[in-house]
Amino acid sequence: MSRAWRGAALAAVLAILVVALTPYLWIFLTSFKSRLDALADTPVWLFTPTLEHYPTVFLDKGYLPLVWNSVLVASSTTLLSLVIGVPAAYVFARHDFAAKEDLFFFFLTTRMAPPISVVVPMFLLFSALGITDRPLAVILAHSTFNLSLVVWMMRGFFADIPREIDEAAMMDGHSRAGMFLKVLVPLSAPGLAATAVLCFILSWNEFLYAFVLVAFEGRTLTVGIPGLVTPHGTLWGQVAAVAVVATLPIIVFTFLVQRHLVRGLTFGAVKG
Amino acid sequence: MGVRFEAVSKVFPDGTVALDRLDLTFETGEFVVLLGPSGSGKTTACRILAGLEEASGGRITVDGRDITGLPPRERGMSMVFQNYALYAHKSVYDNIAYPLRVRKTPKGEIDRMVRAMAALLQIDELLARRPAQLSGGQAQRVAVARALVWQPDICLMDEPLSNLDALLRLHTRTELKRLHGELGKTFVFVTHDQEEAMTLGTRIAVLNEGKLIQFDTPKRVYHQPRTRFVAEFIGRPAMNTLEGEIAGNRFRAGGLELPVAGRAEGPVVFGIRPEHLVIRESPTAHSIAFELDVAELVEPDTLLFVRKDGVALVARGKLDPDRLSKGAAVHLEFPEDQRHFFDAETGERQGEHQGKHTS
Repeated sequence: MSRAWRGAALAAVLAILVVALTPYLWIFLTSFKSRLDALADTPVWLFTPTLEHYPTVFLDKGYLPLVWNSVLVASSTTLLSLVIGVPAAYVFARHDFAAKEDLFFFFLTTRMAPPISVVVPMFLLFSALGITDRPLAVILAHSTFNLSLVVWMMRGFFADIPREIDEAAMMDGHSRAGMFLKVLVPLSAPGLAATAVLCFILSWNEFLYAFVLVAFEGRTLTVGIPGLVTPHGTLWGQVAAVAVVATLPIIVFTFLVQRHLVRGLTFGAVKG
Repeated sequence: MGVRFEAVSKVFPDGTVALDRLDLTFETGEFVVLLGPSGSGKTTACRILAGLEEASGGRITVDGRDITGLPPRERGMSMVFQNYALYAHKSVYDNIAYPLRVRKTPKGEIDRMVRAMAALLQIDELLARRPAQLSGGQAQRVAVARALVWQPDICLMDEPLSNLDALLRLHTRTELKRLHGELGKTFVFVTHDQEEAMTLGTRIAVLNEGKLIQFDTPKRVYHQPRTRFVAEFIGRPAMNTLEGEIAGNRFRAGGLELPVAGRAEGPVVFGIRPEHLVIRESPTAHSIAFELDVAELVEPDTLLFVRKDGVALVARGKLDPDRLSKGAAVHLEFPEDQRHFFDAETGERQGEHQGKHTS
């Protein structure tokens, strides 16, 4: 019986893996295919690989700065959301105040509206402030959703740390701020890392806000991809090359903090 | 000099009165035990002294200095927590060294002090470990070491032994007493365990419902409890208390009648400890006959639960329970110098008659 279950589970996992990985494998292979192979009626598995797409798109077409933009936007929004959200999450975990749970829920509701309904007013607002087409606009936009993520995830991590640790730190000679920065933050480092990576990934992958708010200089990688859909046809090889580069940091980060990420998403976020 | 609570109150936001104008003064160097049932305010008093909780009223002075509004770090006190509260991401060594580091003690000094304290608590072998690799008793020692390493004037302990198993609790208790003797610091120890309080304290502050009921040496708390509450709270099994009446120099409760001389007439609560009842196998001039209900062996003693016309008592003595059967006659004497009388309404202890009392 258990053997049969094991087999079934294995088959299910395998099926999920095939479904999840096939498109990625496809993109990966396409990035090394010549235009002819990429457009072949019957997809070819064996072909003569070409390395032309990578230099073409990143050097000749000037997509390299977009990588930098994506890094800048994703790191900045992560940092900004953590700096604001982590102390807020700590207060939610430790202190009682009027309408606390309502406020906490409010953070979540900011994620309930469809982004498209928010992005137009946001564009008008940022235009008035004169910051459209700058990474700053995207950083602020991404922070709106990352902030709620930080507060929700980190509250659970802080709640896991016994209150007596705070008190012990203060008895050991820390001020309230010192206790938080020198003891609580290091203690919640695993949760902090998971949250940071998740923020980074969400911002890195985000398309809609970035697409509406920046057009030229401040473009991120995701926004750059549609630029390869030309009137003369879609440059599949180059699209694939950009996609591969765009997914690399995500894969690396996810592997690094996989364990904490799962815990943070299931345990930390649910326990409030 | 010493530590002084002056009318310290604490009302929590939900309206709970944890401390009700507490007055308490003790000297430096004492081992003060705050004893009381849950909700008595003992932990709150300790936390207010530490600065972890803000008093709603009153003030606290240490050696004449008002510390009421000071943050914990400026009070010169340390604390041992019930759940140890060790820093999970630091080694035992770093846990103990931490208060010294925060207080910017010179490096060489830190190492010397940590090792000395670890040796004193016999945890020198554990310095490289992480808190997760320690047993409960070891973790407790590390917590004590961390609290004492920087030589604070006052060390607060909030039920530090409650998470240890029984045997270890006894052992650690002895260690703490030894430590107090060696270091000469002021210890303030919170517990609900009267036995811990009796063995550890130089003085015991018995609290109930946010009020100080009695503050005395263990001996006096035991022999001269100020109220019926203290009398019943201290000592196991609890003191026998009987609500009755004195009339014509006799105390009557149910079917029990005792000659008492020189006491005011009227309703009263009579008390006597199980271990002070004298058990006789045959009647004597002063004994009263009871009927045995249950006999429990608590080596080396025996507890006898006896009855007489609606009055139930517990007596503690050295009788072999195998020789007694349910319903057997047990003769008890009530030594005059071991009797306690409490006001029927307030529960306050009534004055000793004829000044005849031991201790």
